[in-house]
Amino acid sequence: MRPLIPLIIILLLLTGCASPPESTAPLVNLSDLQPLPASSAGEVVPLRVAVAAVISPKGTAESYQPLLDYLSDKLDRPVELVQRRTYAEVNDLIESGFVDVAFVCTSAYVDGREKFGMELLAAPQVNGEAVYYSLLIVPKDSAAQSMADLRDKVFAFTDPMSNTGKLYPTYLVQQLGSAPDQFFARTFFTYSHDDAIRAVADGLADGAAVDSLVYDFAVARDPSLAERVRIIHRSPPFGIPPVVVGPGIRPQLKAELQSVLLNMDDDAEGRKGLEAIGAERFVLIDDSAYASVRDLVSAVGPVSP
Amino acid sequence: MKPQFLQGGFSRFWSVAGAVSVRTKILGIVLGLVALMGLGVTMQVRATLTRTMDAQLAEQAISVTRDLAARSTDLILVNDLYALHQLLQETQANNADVRYAFIVDRRGQVIAHTFGGGFPAGLLEANTVLPDEHHRTTILKTDEGSVWDTAVPIFGGRAGMARVGLSEMGVRQLVNTVTGQLLLTTVFVSVIGITAAAFLTWILTRPILDLAKAAQAVGRGNFAPRVPRWADDEIGDLSDSFNAMTRALAKAAEERAEREQLRARYVSGVIAAQEEERKRIARELHDSASQSVTSLMVGMKALSDACESPVLRQRADELRGVAAHTLDEIHSLALQLRPSVLDDLGLPAALERYVADCRGRFHLRIDLAIRGLGETRLPPELETALYRIVQESLTNVARHAEAATASVLIERRDGAVRAIVEDDGRGFDPGTAGKTEQRLGLYGIRERAELLGGKLTIESEPGRGASLFVEIPLKESL
Repeated sequence: MRPLIPLIIILLLLTGCASPPESTAPLVNLSDLQPLPASSAGEVVPLRVAVAAVISPKGTAESYQPLLDYLSDKLDRPVELVQRRTYAEVNDLIESGFVDVAFVCTSAYVDGREKFGMELLAAPQVNGEAVYYSLLIVPKDSAAQSMADLRDKVFAFTDPMSNTGKLYPTYLVQQLGSAPDQFFARTFFTYSHDDAIRAVADGLADGAAVDSLVYDFAVARDPSLAERVRIIHRSPPFGIPPVVVGPGIRPQLKAELQSVLLNMDDDAEGRKGLEAIGAERFVLIDDSAYASVRDLVSAVGPVSP
Repeated sequence: MKPQFLQGGFSRFWSVAGAVSVRTKILGIVLGLVALMGLGVTMQVRATLTRTMDAQLAEQAISVTRDLAARSTDLILVNDLYALHQLLQETQANNADVRYAFIVDRRGQVIAHTFGGGFPAGLLEANTVLPDEHHRTTILKTDEGSVWDTAVPIFGGRAGMARVGLSEMGVRQLVNTVTGQLLLTTVFVSVIGITAAAFLTWILTRPILDLAKAAQAVGRGNFAPRVPRWADDEIGDLSDSFNAMTRALAKAAEERAEREQLRARYVSGVIAAQEEERKRIARELHDSASQSVTSLMVGMKALSDACESPVLRQRADELRGVAAHTLDEIHSLALQLRPSVLDDLGLPAALERYVADCRGRFHLRIDLAIRGLGETRLPPELETALYRIVQESLTNVARHAEAATASVLIERRDGAVRAIVEDDGRGFDPGTAGKTEQRLGLYGIRERAELLGGKLTIESEPGRGASLFVEIPLKESL
């Protein structure tokens, strides 16, 4: 009888140990499906700002947050960041008026201007200029010296509508008397410039063409990238990706937005927002700045179907 | 209080467990041990397994949810709801335990989920996580059992949160399967154990049962049975010892019977010789001494008649009186020793005469009744024995009982002769029976009765008189 008692105690202890971490009371019926409440139309309509996927969505969200906060503060209105995978999707949102203001890619502006009268609001100024370049990059240890050396290699495009990432390299291939489909062994889209840099740095692609602004920004954030890639070609300058509005915007809002952007470098919070996206200030820009891009588009062919 | 309760419980247990056979006890022990071990191991394995599996489930919940949160970040930011939906479907398809997965945007609205059609009421509110938390797991009670609901913030909460529910059902089923298998094994081992124990107990108890049977036979006085030595163990040694004991007992019984026979023969010889001697002395006294005294008396009478001196005549008459008294005493003595009337006229006459003599000598009221004897004479040794028994009994009554009346009954019936002697004296306890002298008297009576195949029964209580009952079968003595 006696030796049984400790045995029973041990057994009780063993069974008593296994207790769940947490527990709550009400029972949820998983098979009783109810329709989800329709997304409540906010009492205050936020200012919707679209940012084209020049860099990855996460990177975009992080770097544009201070600027959006600044806008929200100045306009006294909530600001919502809208991102889409492709430039075309963003252009559709601008056309439909779902977003009020957008940071788009140069070629997307050219396309949108032509299709539905997208309007320029301002442009960032970097290194005292409102221009940027397309950089042809290869892995550090690659022997390639020009686009001609990348024949039958793997090439990473950024977005089908991207000026620096798709139009310009296509133009270069055409200059060599070929087309990307035949020239390269294989191509793929990364949908953002920083992913394209990473694809080359990791050896996933033998070459890529990227936005010089994004490249500088990415290298500034992660200097190790510069050690893994090499620039073999720099394009002539193109008009910098602008800030645009749709044709249906209220003139008052347009003027208000323009004023806030242009005066951003006048206060500390604004400068913080500018710094986060790698710009010195916003300046007014004329449509003529994008003439070279238009030439490129007409040379290569339409960027959107 | 508690030890008493325990003791009571144990004695109740023992009153049941102690009453069953050794075979059942051994079977019970084996079954109990196997069942205890089996149940103990099963319980422990079940507990350990449950704990391990629960920990694994918790870990899995966290890793699946964090993975989902990481992979859904960009999809949420670019509002790629279709890809998000695909991602959730994949997450569910690749993890059998995932019951549901859904994504909540930072405004708290479900933007993608794995439930088709609608969304369970109350599920959204059941768990939440703060943007700076790693994760938060809670166990939800649902209609499909417990679900480990884990919430992980996406992109530091800026893109909302991912929620994944892992069903416990798979884990519980596994635990139950393992438990069932263990219990089945326990039952299987129990069956083997019972079979083995049954065989073992059969081997163990067979010699014990043989021993018990043999011991019962020995108890009844039959020393013939021997138990076989089944095995070279303690029970085998016990069997050998038992057989040796039985042999020794048989020998001792034989010797005792022999001695008993010798003693009986000796005693009956002594009694016969004593009777013969008494008879001879009595006859001698009667024939020779009483003849002489009678002659002496006749001589005294003649002397008295011839004497002229009155003094001398008186003297002669006195002497003749002395001689007459002596003759009476001689007669009385002869009667005591061996009444010739017993030989000449039989038991009834001898007893009547003896009882009459006793009445006079002991001043005691004695009733004598003799039934069923008629004219037939009993065998002489039986008559002598009955006479001596009555004689000894009445002597005892006179000496020890302080009785006023006594009764003697001799009865022949159903092939036996009974002698009953009763008195109304102070009685005694037959077990511890009085003085040595009295015990010796009773022993003599018993001895005489048993020599003739009869038996003596004494009924008495202090203060209640005594009755002595002797029965002697006639067949043997005829």
